[in-house]
Formats: sequence, structure tokens, C-alpha cells
Amino acid sequence: MNKAMEHSRSNAMSSGVIARRLKKTVRYTVTYILLLLLALLMTGPFLWLLSVSLMPGRNVFSNPPAIWPTFIDFGNYVQVWNYMNFPKYIMNTLIITVLGVVFNIVLSCMTAYPLALFRFKGRDMVFALLITTMIIPSSTAMIVHYLTIQWLNLGNSYLGVVLPAAVSVFNIFLMRQTFQGIPAEIRDSGKMDGASELRIWWQLVLPLVKPGIAVIMLLEVMAFWNNFLWPIVVLDDPEKYPLASALTYLNGQFSYNFGWIAAGTIISVIPIILVFLFTQRYYMEGLAGAVKG
Amino acid sequence: MRWMRTETFAAWAFMAPGLLIVAVFVLWPIIYGIPLSLTDYSVIGETHYVGFENYVTAVQDKSFLTSLWNSLVYVLIVPFIQVFSILMAILVNTRLPLIKAFRAAYYIPVVTSMVAVALMWSWLFSNNGVVNYILIQLGIIQEQVGWLSSSSTALYALMFITMWKGLGYYMVLYLAGLQGIPSELYEAAMIDGASRWQVIMRITVPLLRPHILFCTLISLMGAIRVFDEMFVLTQGGPGNATLTSSLYIYQKGLEQFNFGYASALGLIVSVIVGALSIFVFRLNRRGGVSY
Repeated sequence: MNKAMEHSRSNAMSSGVIARRLKKTVRYTVTYILLLLLALLMTGPFLWLLSVSLMPGRNVFSNPPAIWPTFIDFGNYVQVWNYMNFPKYIMNTLIITVLGVVFNIVLSCMTAYPLALFRFKGRDMVFALLITTMIIPSSTAMIVHYLTIQWLNLGNSYLGVVLPAAVSVFNIFLMRQTFQGIPAEIRDSGKMDGASELRIWWQLVLPLVKPGIAVIMLLEVMAFWNNFLWPIVVLDDPEKYPLASALTYLNGQFSYNFGWIAAGTIISVIPIILVFLFTQRYYMEGLAGAVKG
Repeated sequence: MRWMRTETFAAWAFMAPGLLIVAVFVLWPIIYGIPLSLTDYSVIGETHYVGFENYVTAVQDKSFLTSLWNSLVYVLIVPFIQVFSILMAILVNTRLPLIKAFRAAYYIPVVTSMVAVALMWSWLFSNNGVVNYILIQLGIIQEQVGWLSSSSTALYALMFITMWKGLGYYMVLYLAGLQGIPSELYEAAMIDGASRWQVIMRITVPLLRPHILFCTLISLMGAIRVFDEMFVLTQGGPGNATLTSSLYIYQKGLEQFNFGYASALGLIVSVIVGALSIFVFRLNRRGGVSY
């Protein structure tokens, strides 16, 4: 009798294990199906656009839609490249992006540094002022920016494109957060050696906040690369447009030539997607960390 | 020159360039908008002080009222964004193989420019486009719908595009929140026999409260300021169906160069956004838990 009981117990246990395993397998399968469906929804449109761009003559409105191209031909790319002087637009985009990123890194590192580590008169006032500007929504900003840029005689210049976004209060707070993690001894040791404040900042402190700088760099690269409206407002000369602005222009001119526009769009999004894929670890951690602050 | 060696001097020297930019391009627009809105300033003719005339015109301006209404309708995406992105964050909050690739894939729409995204969806949403094809195949609709060309659907189609592009961003923010919740809490709940759904509703959502507040506020601001989608795709049409307040302010200010009037419209919108933000804050303050 004892044996029989033991037997039935072990039976019940193994069937419990099997049930649990089965449950786990089902759950994994369901999870992966959901993940794949979502991936199709989020990246499917890009894959479809890529397909369209690689198949000249094939209608974008063909049914069923082509996620995978049935043949590959770079004709659209060659034609739109010849028509649209892409190297120039890419160069314009690079100038704007580099200018904007450098401004943001330098200015937010300089402004946030004393706010985080110095004791001085007016610190609380500056801090309160910055917070206030973050809370008050401004829907008139673009109009006043336009007037200011005209008044500064910076219309139709890249400086005019970059200056209104040369530093953001968000970035200042992000860097302040990073600087606060630096022990006071580091500045003290620099002072003992008789180094100037500027040298302490440049040689001792900045190397320690590289992760914060990387986050700002990534966020701003994407912001400036994708910005299309303000360049259109400031730049009178379409030859000076960055890629994103030029793309709206191309769309206005050739809205019927889907293959060209598809190819142009793909050319404009590939660099930024690559930058993201290569830096995503930094990027996602930085983004999450920035919000905690 | 001993004062030059003080910390106060050094501090202000470091901050001067950055604060100058903030003053000119962040603070000044907030301040200058007020007097500007009381004038008839435009590119042509002399500028006069007109008192509250712009505001009187604004409340009688049918296009402006329509644009305000459309912007408020757009705010409907805020709760949807929170629900979907929290569910997405829960879905990707595992250590399964390839999960990082999936997270990256969901983030791709966030990093691409709205111009590219909008062009792409304008084809997908067209009469013979992919969306209609799939929905007809699935039997959800019987005949083609002109999603962007019909005034009854255009605004909703744009709302879908905005959501599609933004979900990955909010997913990452919520994922950070989820990863901050101690796993013992889940284990305790599981031992007590709580179902998955109960765990989400009783543990996850209450503990994500600060993240929900933050994401709600950002998506609210984003929804009210929405511009790029309609600028690239519809220019406010068909009719005024997708005319939002930001687009209308842009048209008045930077296409028709009616700076005074546009500033008045902007200030009205700012006040509404401010009131909505305070409302969200209050709503979130009630109750709350911590761990």
C-alpha cells in the first residue's frame, strides 16, 4: 500500500512538471508570436518602402503588397541621385548636425558645471528660472525665433538654423545630473595644484562625464538630422536645405514618381537608422537615465 | 583683480554663453509674445497697438475654433499611447533570446524623420494602398476607404501615424520603470496566487505612476503641438478636417506673416496647455503607492 501511494505521488509530480513545461512552452510561443506581429507592424512599412524603391516600374499600389522585392534594380537610386545632388544635401545636413551637436555639448557642459558643483550667489535663482521655462509652454516660440533671427541678420544662414536650438534646458539638467556624480576632491586636487577653473573643467572633470556627453550627442544628432521645418523657414535658398527639407521639396515636385521618392526617403533614413543600431545600448540607457533625473 | 578669482565670477563666466542663448531663444519668446499679441505687427505697413482686438478676432475665428477642437480631439491619443506602450514594455521586459533586437525594431520609427514616415504612410493609407488591401482581406471593411482624403477619417489616420511613430519611445521609458520594480514583489504576488492580469493592475501600474505622469505630460504636449504630420500630408485638409492649432498658428504667422495675430493665438493655446497640464498633475496626485 505504501508503495502504491508513493507511485501515485511521483506520477502526479511528473505530470505536474510536464504541465508546467507545456505551459512555459505555450507562453514562450505566444510571446514570440506577439513580438513578431509587433515587429511587422513597426518595421513592415520600412521594408515595404525599401521593396518599392528597389523595383522600378512596379506600382506602389500593387496588390498584394510586396514586403520582399521579387527583383532588385537600383535604377530609382541612380536616377534620383543624378537628379537631386544628394552629396550636397548630405553635406548640408552634416554641417547643420555637427554645428548643432557641438553647440549643445559645449554649452550644456559649461552651463551645467557650476550649477552642479559650485557654491555661488544666484545659483538657486538661475535654477528656478530654468525650471520655469520648462513648465511654461510656448506656442509662439517659432514666430519670435523668426523675428529674432531676422533681427540678428542670420536669415538664410546655418547659424540661424542652429542657434535657436543651440542649447536646451533639458540638456543642461541632464549634464547637471551627471556632474553631480563627481566627487568634490577632484576639483580640490586641481586647485591645490594651482590649475585654473577652465583647466580643471577641461582636463579633470570633462573626461569623467563622457557618458552624459554621449547621450546628448545621440539625442541631438537625431534631432538635427530629422529637423525639416525650421530650416525651411530660415533658409530662403533650397540649395541650402538639409535632406529632410529637400525631401518635402522633392515630394512637392514629383509626387507622381513614387520610385524616386521611395529611393530618396530610404537614402535619408538609412544613416540615422544605422547610427541608432550601432549606439542603441548607450542610447536606450541614456534615455531611461535622463528621465529618472 | 581679486574678484576675478572668486568662485562666483567663475560660475557666471561658465554659464554666460548658455544662459544668453536660453534668454534669447527660450525666455524671450515667452515674454515677447505678450506685447506682440497686442499689435497688428506684420511684414507690411506700420505697426499699431490694437489692444485686445486680436483676441476678440480669435474667439470669432471659425478656423481657429475648429483647429482648437481638432487639437483637443488629438489629445485622445494620450491614454491610448500609455496603454499600448505599457503593454509593449511588459511584453519586452523579459530576458528571452533576441529581445534586444525586437526592442530596437520597435524603436526605429522613433528615430526616422517625420517627413519620411509621413510620405510612407500617405501611400499605405491611399485608396489602392496596403492598409485598405489588408483590411479588405481580413473582412474588416468591405470597400476602399480614403483614409487621408475623407474628412471623417483624416484626423484619425494622422493620430494613428503619430502613435505608431511614438510608441517605441514611451515603451523605452516604461521599460526603465518596470526594471526598477523589485522582482520580489512579483514573486510574492505569484505565491499568493495572483493572476498575470491582477499583477499588472495591482502591482505594475500603481508602481509605474511617476512614469505614467511623466509620459502623459510629454505625450499631451506632443499631441497639442502636433504639426509635422499635417504639414507634410494634408496641410490641414480636406476642408479644415486636420487643421490643428499649431498648423493654424504657423499659417497665420509664417506663411501670411501676421505676427501679431499669430502671437495672440499662440498665447491662447499656451494657456489651454498649461491648464491641461495642471489638470493631469492633480489627477495623478490622488492616491499613489511606493515601495
